[in-house]
Amino acid sequence: MILPFIPKGHHAMNAHLHAVGLKKAYRKGRSLEVPVLHGVDFSIEKGEMVAIVGASGSGKSTLLHLLGLLDGPDEGHIYLNGERIDQQPDKKRDHLRNTAFGFVFQSYHLMPELTALENVLMPQLIRLSPWQWFSQKKQLKRDAAEWLERVGLGHRGKHKPSELSGGEMQRTAIARALAGNPQIILADEPTGNLDAESGESVMKLLRDLNRERGMTMIVVTHDLNVARQADRIVRLNQGLVESFTPVLAA
Amino acid sequence: MYKYLLCWRYLKTRYIALASVISVMLGVATMIVVNSVMAGFAHTMRDRLHGILADVVVESYDLDGFWDWRDVQSIIQKECGDLVEATAPTMETFGLLKMYLPDGQAVTRQVMVIGIRPEDRAKTGDFSEFIQDDAGKPIKPGFEVPKNWQTNSPAGHLLKDTPKDDPLHDILKQQAGEQVPDRGAIVGYALATIHRPGSSTDDFIAPPGSRIGLAFPKSGRKPEAAYDDYTVVGYFKSGMSEYDSMHVYVPLERLQYMRMLGDGLGAGAVNQIQIQVKPGVNINEIAGRLQRVLDSRRPMYFRVATWEQKQGPLLEAVKIEQFILNVLLFLIIAVAGFGILAIFSMIVVEKTRDIGVLKALGASTSGVRGIFLSYGLALSIVGCGAGMIEGLLIVHYLNDIENVINSLTGTRVFNPDIYYFSEIPTLVEPWTVAGIVLGAIAIAVTASVWPAQRASKLHPVQALRFE
Ligand SMILES: Nc1ncnc2c1ncn2[C@@H]1O[C@H](COP(=O)(O)OP(=O)(O)O)[C@@H](O)[C@H]1O
Ligand SMILES: [Mg+2]
Repeated sequence: MILPFIPKGHHAMNAHLHAVGLKKAYRKGRSLEVPVLHGVDFSIEKGEMVAIVGASGSGKSTLLHLLGLLDGPDEGHIYLNGERIDQQPDKKRDHLRNTAFGFVFQSYHLMPELTALENVLMPQLIRLSPWQWFSQKKQLKRDAAEWLERVGLGHRGKHKPSELSGGEMQRTAIARALAGNPQIILADEPTGNLDAESGESVMKLLRDLNRERGMTMIVVTHDLNVARQADRIVRLNQGLVESFTPVLAA
Repeated sequence: MYKYLLCWRYLKTRYIALASVISVMLGVATMIVVNSVMAGFAHTMRDRLHGILADVVVESYDLDGFWDWRDVQSIIQKECGDLVEATAPTMETFGLLKMYLPDGQAVTRQVMVIGIRPEDRAKTGDFSEFIQDDAGKPIKPGFEVPKNWQTNSPAGHLLKDTPKDDPLHDILKQQAGEQVPDRGAIVGYALATIHRPGSSTDDFIAPPGSRIGLAFPKSGRKPEAAYDDYTVVGYFKSGMSEYDSMHVYVPLERLQYMRMLGDGLGAGAVNQIQIQVKPGVNINEIAGRLQRVLDSRRPMYFRVATWEQKQGPLLEAVKIEQFILNVLLFLIIAVAGFGILAIFSMIVVEKTRDIGVLKALGASTSGVRGIFLSYGLALSIVGCGAGMIEGLLIVHYLNDIENVINSLTGTRVFNPDIYYFSEIPTLVEPWTVAGIVLGAIAIAVTASVWPAQRASKLHPVQALRFE
């Protein structure tokens, strides 16, 4: 295995997810180019909870998408458990998205045709062939129901997303992210669309999961109150990682 | 697995997509109905044509025919006797028919005069099934004029009371023979009757026992007509108006004699030999073989044709008509395919964010494509299946539907006078139905390929950002 270039001061050897020199620019046509990331280094340890903050449009979502293999960087490398993942073939990247990462989005992105329980089952539904699905269906449904229970929605399994409140939808989305047994949760402004109270409960849920299960977690936010709950804060500014801020005492 | 779940849910929640396959459904139903009716017509027509015509006909190019027909018959017997069921010598020529009305007027029609030996002709084709009396009851083909018809004629009545030695006796006897000739003729039903619209019974211009006059070409150096008269003894009703309004059957020997092509006792010329082959025999092969043998006997004189070849243009016309209709109807389904394409593209746009989520959750390109392809397949199976059921139901109840339309509009959609079909004939050919349904499914699925491809190629991040 080729050892990655490890910037000084990073605990790269035991880094869970680790990115070096990420560059990304959006192209519109041939001439117009919008540079977003200018060479971002990022690292997170197992069980760590990191908040990415920055002004709107600073490239937080872009960075998260790169880390979660939803998009490819123009330059730079990404390592998961020391293994380079950004240049894997499509099939492998699909598989990693399904098994290694769990996404939580600002606007929940639940499937409107499916019930809450079915939404939670989605990662498994994608993973399994019909044959596998039918042979494990019972167990999987029980697990999914347990996850819904864990996020406090045990009684709403049969409801469609349109029948849930914003906070409930977001908690369903978190249950969905967890039901795939991922190694890392990637949350893009999970409280962005929620009122203060629901946002608080969603953040508490994420924080608890991080504590209880040692789940590695990257949370993008521009709300400093949210960021404060993380172990570490990373600030994006002008396409660069500006500072590693220690957690402010609450 | 998610493919099938989502496909199923889309099917249950998106009625607009079901609307898009209604056009396919209607197209399939129409095609099945049209094809069944056309096949029914073609089949019934073929049946009737085949019934009227013998399987294979040997004919001479010369209308005056050939005298050595018994030799030709034995050649046929020698060449393929084991394949042949029966043969019938026939003399066929065009002619003029005159029918005399009670009020003294006469009706003249152009006809085909066919001299046959009834017992021979009855063995070739379904000829005997088409012979009936004025009440529509089937009768045995034959030309005997019942004796009492002559005695019941005006002259016959007088003759009864006239002693044999009376000088009038011979004159009356001759007159009775003129009023009711002792030669019978079987006249095409449509020639002998007039059908008045709205009336359920047909009026006879030439009722049984009436005298008809026939003129036809005589053999000889100069073109000349011979004239003869006959008594109507029966009617020919095959259901093909072309024949029922043209054919007049007369005794072969008499026709030969009158055309100066025979002695009236058996020796004479014929211009056709009708051949009935045994069931399952390849008639084209027999025709080819006979043509070769007869050509070597007398080159450029005989023409051997199967009944299909003789009716070639008609059968071919039906086939071409059916083909063109099918092309047009398939184009309609293709148009419906574009409707599916449009609606599917809209659904893909509507589902853009969901597609982004699926990809974020690890769905592959082919998986996303699979959702929309199986969705398209499911929809087209639903549409085409419904179309098939609808089409078959319409075919099944076609005549009831026609009756309803008739009573609603007061007109006859399907006029049985033209075809003598009491109802619209239909024939459901399973392979045709299968072809239509599979073809339509193929078109509908093809129409969903492009939207599915577009969905699968969506970039996950752009799809997620899509508002
Ligand atoms: N597809 C795109 N084409 C062009 N510019 C884009 C595209 N997506 C994002 N951007 C730009 O990239 C920048 C960073 O976007 P984003 O990562 O969403 O920022 P954040 O999440 O921090 O608000 C923004 O200026 C945005 O306008
Ligand atoms: Mg953002």
